[in-house]
Amino acid sequence: MTKPMIRIHNSETNEIIDREMTVAEFKQFETDQKNNAAFRAEAEAKAIAKSALLTKLGLTEDEAKLLLS
Amino acid sequence: MAKQTFTTGQVLTAAQMTSLQQTAMGGGSATAKTASYVLVAADAGTTVAMNAAGATTITVNTALFAAGDTVFIQNLGAGACTVTAGTATVATAGSLILPQNDAGILYFTATGASIFYDYIQVGAASPLTTKGDVYTFSTSDARIGVGANNTVLTADSAEATGLKWAAVAGGSMTLLSTTSLSGTSTTVSSISGAYKHLYIEVANVQWSGTVNDSARIATNLTSLSSYIQAKIPSNQGTYLGNGVDYIDDGGQYMTGDNGNNFMTWTIYNYASTTDMKVWDLLLIYKGSSSNGRVSNWQGGIYSKSAVNSFTYDTMASLTLTAGTIKIYGVN
Repeated sequence: MTKPMIRIHNSETNEIIDREMTVAEFKQFETDQKNNAAFRAEAEAKAIAKSALLTKLGLTEDEAKLLLS
Repeated sequence: MAKQTFTTGQVLTAAQMTSLQQTAMGGGSATAKTASYVLVAADAGTTVAMNAAGATTITVNTALFAAGDTVFIQNLGAGACTVTAGTATVATAGSLILPQNDAGILYFTATGASIFYDYIQVGAASPLTTKGDVYTFSTSDARIGVGANNTVLTADSAEATGLKWAAVAGGSMTLLSTTSLSGTSTTVSSISGAYKHLYIEVANVQWSGTVNDSARIATNLTSLSSYIQAKIPSNQGTYLGNGVDYIDDGGQYMTGDNGNNFMTWTIYNYASTTDMKVWDLLLIYKGSSSNGRVSNWQGGIYSKSAVNSFTYDTMASLTLTAGTIKIYGVN
């Protein structure tokens, strides 16, 4: 299976290496993807809950901000 | 008076004696020439003076002079006079170019071969050998090879010539590298530690598709554990740890199909191995639900290690398709 590519540019020698992720990097990449999905899901759930609460209260987001300011 | 062979009983005229004084005896003055001149046989043993505002030449041809003949050449004018080999050769250890008030002796070793003894530079060979060399002096003429890019010539009494090439002491920015973004992450490594601060620009970033995502930046991302450790969703960006952060702003993510974003990240005291670092970050980008957002964050890197690499990627490790990282050293 082809792993994602990464770029490393050596500022001292100006050598640029484009290579596939190593096994360890790819493992980390997969973990990152999983964590990212969880993070996004959590953010999305919060946004939905926030929107639902505003609807329940009959307020727009701007009105809620005004109340908290 | 040109060199000639006198005969027994020959009587010299007053004019010939006057001319002789002007040449062999060094008295009187030669009539200066005001334009380029080609030596003639009668010039042997005489003074040829040049006096012109512009550049001139004195051309030396063969079959006019004999071995041992000399011609004294002087330049009175502002224009440089160049002794030029015509059909005869002209060797020199100095220079064939006579600036104003320089002079020299042209000496023939054969009818077609001469040596020019330049008075100012007689016996001196130029020490210059290489593009960019600077002609200087220690106890004799010396060269200083051209310095590294962006260095300046600096006085230093400890040097043999009193001069050296050195980085600008203050108030300068030096471009260290330019890198096109590519792959799921792009790292600039081996960043020079020779400056006070590091100024990083990341411009026109795009990634595959039209997916909204958070860009991330990191320093010294050398181990996976440090990367994970630093991965804290700090929306307002005062983080922390190894200098990794998400570039988003309260849930406004950068969009991958718009390359008009621009970020500057200045890390102060980045090369210190005894102090932690602080940084300023400025960013303008098109948000996922707005046309343009500007963010300004400050933060710190809680590490005493010198910053020597910079990594850019996105939170979801999307493939970077465009964008440029420029890294400058600041003094």
